[in-house]
Amino acid sequence: MKEDVAYHVMAPEQKKYGDPIIEISHLVKSFGDNHVLRDYSLTIRKGENVVVLGKSGCGKSVLIKCIVGLIPYDKGSLKVFGNEISEIQQQELDELRAKIGFVFQSSALYDSMTVRENLEFALRRHGKGKSRTEVNALVEETLDNVGLLHAVEVMPAELSGGMRKRIGLARSLILKPEIMLYDEPTTGLDPITAKEISNLMLKMQLKYNTSSIIISHDMHCAQLTANRLSVMIDGINYAEGTFDELRKMNDPKVHAFFEIL
Amino acid sequence: MAEEKKSILPKGLRDFYIEAGETTQFAGRFFREILFPPYEFREVIRQSYEIGYKSLPLVGITAFIIGLVLTLQSRPTLVSFGAEAWLPAMVGVSIIREIGPVITALICAGKIGSSIGAELGSMKVTEQIDAMEVSGTNPFKYIVVSRIVSTTLMIPVLVVIGDAISLYGAFLAVKVKGAVSFTLFFHQVFEALNFGDALPSVIKSFFFGFAIGLIGCYKGYHSKKGTEGVGRSANSAVVVSSLLIFIIDLMAVQITEFFGLI
Repeated sequence: MKEDVAYHVMAPEQKKYGDPIIEISHLVKSFGDNHVLRDYSLTIRKGENVVVLGKSGCGKSVLIKCIVGLIPYDKGSLKVFGNEISEIQQQELDELRAKIGFVFQSSALYDSMTVRENLEFALRRHGKGKSRTEVNALVEETLDNVGLLHAVEVMPAELSGGMRKRIGLARSLILKPEIMLYDEPTTGLDPITAKEISNLMLKMQLKYNTSSIIISHDMHCAQLTANRLSVMIDGINYAEGTFDELRKMNDPKVHAFFEIL
Repeated sequence: MAEEKKSILPKGLRDFYIEAGETTQFAGRFFREILFPPYEFREVIRQSYEIGYKSLPLVGITAFIIGLVLTLQSRPTLVSFGAEAWLPAMVGVSIIREIGPVITALICAGKIGSSIGAELGSMKVTEQIDAMEVSGTNPFKYIVVSRIVSTTLMIPVLVVIGDAISLYGAFLAVKVKGAVSFTLFFHQVFEALNFGDALPSVIKSFFFGFAIGLIGCYKGYHSKKGTEGVGRSANSAVVVSSLLIFIIDLMAVQITEFFGLI
């Protein structure tokens, strides 16, 4: 019988967190003959930051795209706030997406819009009924939180990599989501900016009381942000535990991630 | 494991049929999405400005030159037959029926089709389309439907304006070579034209616009990863939509003839 946990579970400190908000159970996803997720299981609780570690191309991004319904999964169960993602209607999915912030690897800012328009875009559907003054205040508050209030009228092409990440983060925070999904938030950044982004993610988690899944292979980011880590190898949750617990593990596959530190 | 069924068709032909089928599905989705709210009116207006107004200088200059050159090149032949007086009528019918719509549509396929293909391709590659979907906006409706509606509405407008500028170019060419008044020239042009010349020309322009928007959006929306894919999307958007323009034109002539409008 399959277990709903990782192969190597290191005493997860789940009691101090709230109820489960994302429950992934035996998730399977293939693209033709490429079996990306083979039998992945993970539970995220309220207020928890979980970093999913794994090599490039192992299916980490596919996992969080399944969570927001961007990629349909083949088998298994994926529940967000108790809703099975593959069974809900488009309208319900859209309502659910309002509670989830997604920071893309490439930031995915809309090139043809200013920073202000990028932030306001998320309010088109979920911010109806807000006056112009309220929208402006919300945009300015969110930009202030990421320290880029001065860039409100700037086009994305004029921003540096780090600034784009911050705007991407601000855009996903504007609806005050309960869950944040980060797809390699520090990739392509210099170590100092990467650390700033990691600190900002922590600051925002405290401010907005979010739960997060952070997809990364940046161990410094993982060390700074994770309450718990899941090591994805061959499409399964190979090992799970706190940073220190996993670092002490003797398994060579897990240890390989910590060698660079 | 089940063995993959081998197709009897050559790969190129099979790919063509697959792409034709997918494009038809894409068009079907457009007609489904356009019927139901929310309607993206603001985006349609913005795209109409980008597609229509910003293409006007290029369409205008090209139409003017075509009208001028067509008249200058047709004149010697008509003069040799002693039929110089027919020049305004001949040029007018050629421009309104055929040259105006086709040239305008081809120019727009180059300018607008490539621009839509590249823009959507780059949005796809940089995950902007995914970001839109995650934010609860239907990207197909916001990006694709608005652009196809705009090209379908704007190309006929550009064709009508292009026809007028082209006829003015033709008038200047006649004026340079001989004494003819503005009133006389256009009187002769409109005397030679009838309802059956103008209506099919305008109607087929809607189809040209639809084809340009549809192919540009389809190629961009299904762009493969990477910058090479974006370039390929832009390029094939121009090639396929130009080809479609000629096919639609051929069908339009047949239909017009069937209804006795020629």
